[in-house]
Amino acid sequence: MQLTATQQDALIELLNIGFGRAAAALSQLTGHRVMLEVPEVTIHPVDEVSEALERVIRTDVASVHQIFSGPVAGDALLILDQGGASMLKELLTDEPALPLSIDASAREVLTEVGNILLNACLGTFGNLLKVQVSFSVPHLSLETVGAILESLRIHREGLQYALVVHAGFKLRDAEVHGYLVIVLSVASLDRMLRAVEEWEHRNR
Amino acid sequence: MKSKLLLVDDSALARRSLRTILESDGFEVVEAEDGMAALERYFLEKPDLVLLDLVMKGMYGLDVLTKLRQLDPSARVVVVTADVQDSSHQLVQEAGASGFINKPIDKHRVLEVIRGVLEESA
Repeated sequence: MQLTATQQDALIELLNIGFGRAAAALSQLTGHRVMLEVPEVTIHPVDEVSEALERVIRTDVASVHQIFSGPVAGDALLILDQGGASMLKELLTDEPALPLSIDASAREVLTEVGNILLNACLGTFGNLLKVQVSFSVPHLSLETVGAILESLRIHREGLQYALVVHAGFKLRDAEVHGYLVIVLSVASLDRMLRAVEEWEHRNR
Repeated sequence: MKSKLLLVDDSALARRSLRTILESDGFEVVEAEDGMAALERYFLEKPDLVLLDLVMKGMYGLDVLTKLRQLDPSARVVVVTADVQDSSHQLVQEAGASGFINKPIDKHRVLEVIRGVLEESA
């Protein structure tokens, strides 16, 4: 499945607004200015996402997962590399970061930060697209991208697509690369794209 | 006399951050980490106001709000959530919340909303 040029433009604009809101939240949390890069959006069958992401992230990652439900339903993941995750912990607690597997305080910080960023982004979509979305409790995983996405694929039936948003940003002069992955069924993706087109029409 | 506030959030980080802000401003703070514990603590502690998260393990915040208001229609509840949707704001207002604050927590905004609600109910 490929996005039309209009859908791509409208989605990028929507994502810019959503990420702007998430960046403002991150800046408020850390006390540092957050410089955003223009997000890149791609769409893949869910089976091919791991391969696409593993080309750019090869180590274990910290991922915050939330299920969302409503007219547009699916799974949202915020994926950060270990360096980015450690930096966030240090900025928010003023304590040195330890390996995430043994650092309960870092895991707690990342879960709450992930919750705030995913809500800022998807909640802004909900507001703009006039779609009410309900969120599950956030869950943090420390695995490879492949393992995280494989568990999603196993727990969900039916053909699914993943909207992958590569959101690079700079925090305290260091580059942090984060990925937002939204996994949707065909029906939800279709409803989302129609809502995006309606939003684009309203804003012409 | 100090006003007593009940913080309900399943994130220990969120509870710690709010507790620091509230205690430094002279409030007495009690905590609950889920909805069931919140209902129990509400009737044990009789707080002047509840600060309630929406997305929590077990009982969802909106259900806690509805239950609290059924059991005590005078309960004052301010929702503190990462959910930025206008429709969620409207839902909690309809369920009887006295205020709505978005995370990340802004110290001045939290204190302003809490003081406003406490003054209204005085």
